[in-house]
Amino acid sequence: MRKTFTVAETALREIARRRGVLAILVLFPLAFYLSRRDSHLGQSIRFVCLGLGWALSTAALFAGSAARSIEPRLRLSGYRGHHLYLGRLVALWTVGLLLAAPYYVLIRIDTDGVRYGAIGLIMVLTVAVAAPFGLALSAALPRELEGMLVLLIIVGLQMMMDPADSASRLLPFWFSREIGTYAVDHTDGGYLTRGLLHAVVCLAALLAVVAIASGYRLRQRSHLRFVARR
Amino acid sequence: MELERRSQWLRGVLDLCVLGVLAQRESYGYELIQSLHAAGLDGIQGGTLYPVLLRLQRGGQVAAHWREGGSGPARKYYRITPEGAETLRRSAADWESFAGGVSAILREVAAR
Amino acid sequence: MRHDTWLDALAGELRRHGVAPETAGNVLAETAAHLWESGDDPVRAFGPPQAYAATVADSVRADLPRRAQAGPVRLEVDGITKRYGRRTVLREVSLSVRAGEVAAVVGANGSGKSTFLGICAGLVSPDRGEVRVHGSLGYCPQGGGTSDFLVPDEHFVLVGAGRGMSRADARDTGRAGAAALDWDPRDGTQARHLSGGTRQKLNLVMAGLGDPDVLLLDEPYQGFDQGSYLDFWQQVRRWRDSGKAIVVVTHLLNTRDGVDIVLDLGKRREERA
Repeated sequence: MRKTFTVAETALREIARRRGVLAILVLFPLAFYLSRRDSHLGQSIRFVCLGLGWALSTAALFAGSAARSIEPRLRLSGYRGHHLYLGRLVALWTVGLLLAAPYYVLIRIDTDGVRYGAIGLIMVLTVAVAAPFGLALSAALPRELEGMLVLLIIVGLQMMMDPADSASRLLPFWFSREIGTYAVDHTDGGYLTRGLLHAVVCLAALLAVVAIASGYRLRQRSHLRFVARR
Repeated sequence: MELERRSQWLRGVLDLCVLGVLAQRESYGYELIQSLHAAGLDGIQGGTLYPVLLRLQRGGQVAAHWREGGSGPARKYYRITPEGAETLRRSAADWESFAGGVSAILREVAAR
Repeated sequence: MRHDTWLDALAGELRRHGVAPETAGNVLAETAAHLWESGDDPVRAFGPPQAYAATVADSVRADLPRRAQAGPVRLEVDGITKRYGRRTVLREVSLSVRAGEVAAVVGANGSGKSTFLGICAGLVSPDRGEVRVHGSLGYCPQGGGTSDFLVPDEHFVLVGAGRGMSRADARDTGRAGAAALDWDPRDGTQARHLSGGTRQKLNLVMAGLGDPDVLLLDEPYQGFDQGSYLDFWQQVRRWRDSGKAIVVVTHLLNTRDGVDIVLDLGKRREERA
């Protein structure tokens, strides 16, 4: 527990020192929100949630790439794989919730006639999914630039694809639009259930990818055996 | 060039020269340098002599002790040990035959 | 140069070269007495402090009695073979290092030195062969291995927590290790702003945290100046004397003293000094 906590604390410090990334992280969802605020309020709410997801995924991608070079030696220093990725996830989830809170307040003040509870739920789920999504990307794509491009494509698709199209359900933030519809347009609970289910499945799948990738990369090789000291 | 050759010769025999001086009486670094100068071996600096003394001391060829040096700081006096005297005796004979060979050759060159 | 400054510099260099304090004290007193009596200029009479200290260290180390017998085997490497594609980088390489021994892994560029160390550390899988470590392992990579946005103290705490050390303990031990390399990490510079040599010092200190029984060091002195290079070997000797088994990958081995085993991957055989 102390090891996971130390990794989480360290990761938080690292993120806090990336001033540039942090600024973009904070302002990015706001830009999304303002871009659609005049035309269609519901749309701007959906966009701010997507913006949150994108921003936090990016942060996670950077955090994951930065950790690559130090993780093998941490593994040798007595950490297990799960200490490392759980610690990092805890840090990213903390950052995500801190990031989401002001936007939730903004929506509460700025809009009326929407289901605030559902919007809070979207934000929590977005944060929950975005962190392992970014880490999974960084595990698959060692270079930050490639990871960024893939992120750009996925979030772009997320905005453009028709949510009714079944292929769009493969995208990690599909639940956000589904529950968003429930929250803004007061549709039936089916949207909420489908969205929740999608988020849970996504979260589980992404966590599994992160755990497996970390376990594989930091595995104890079979040729090396530790014997008790004589 | 000539200087360098001289210092190379000296490097080979400096420890023997030091033992030779110490065989007469015990002495300390600065005084040893002066004795060697007086014998015509000039150009020896502290940086060359003291490491030689350290090696001789480590090898048990000389023994050292500190003694108050009048008005100045204490001096480290060296004296030759029986092992050192033995080394000196053997090497002196070696040197005699070696230097004799070299001299014989060089004398012929000089005579031509 | 003033006598005192020169003598101070000499004192520091003697320490750096691992000359025992008592011997160093004697040398300093004798040198001071000589300078006082002769009135010589220290640089003219003895040369620069670094060079003179090196000569003194050589003179006193030559006849140093061999230190105590090496302890039990800590690292056993058995018949390691590694291929990259069709190229065989390591063929049947074996090595055994005991507690209190230093092994140097040498060989030309591309002879597989780093691969060998990576295999020992369990970061790279060999095609054949086995490695047994009796106890715990510390590893210092050739580069990387630090975290750009963290300050040195945070590195110490992070690695220390993995080793079960308390925060304060890890930080103090790290700072002490840094001091042994003539580096004060307390100003809190983030790793990305450290010079290459200093970052390697950080790497080295991290490897030694938590007292691992076996230390694997992959050319850890890159970017070191001459003084730090000596400090490094000094630290290796201290680790050795405290009973650790040490493997150093190196391409320059002018410091033969203190190395017990040389594994030449160019020639692929193990020699005992």
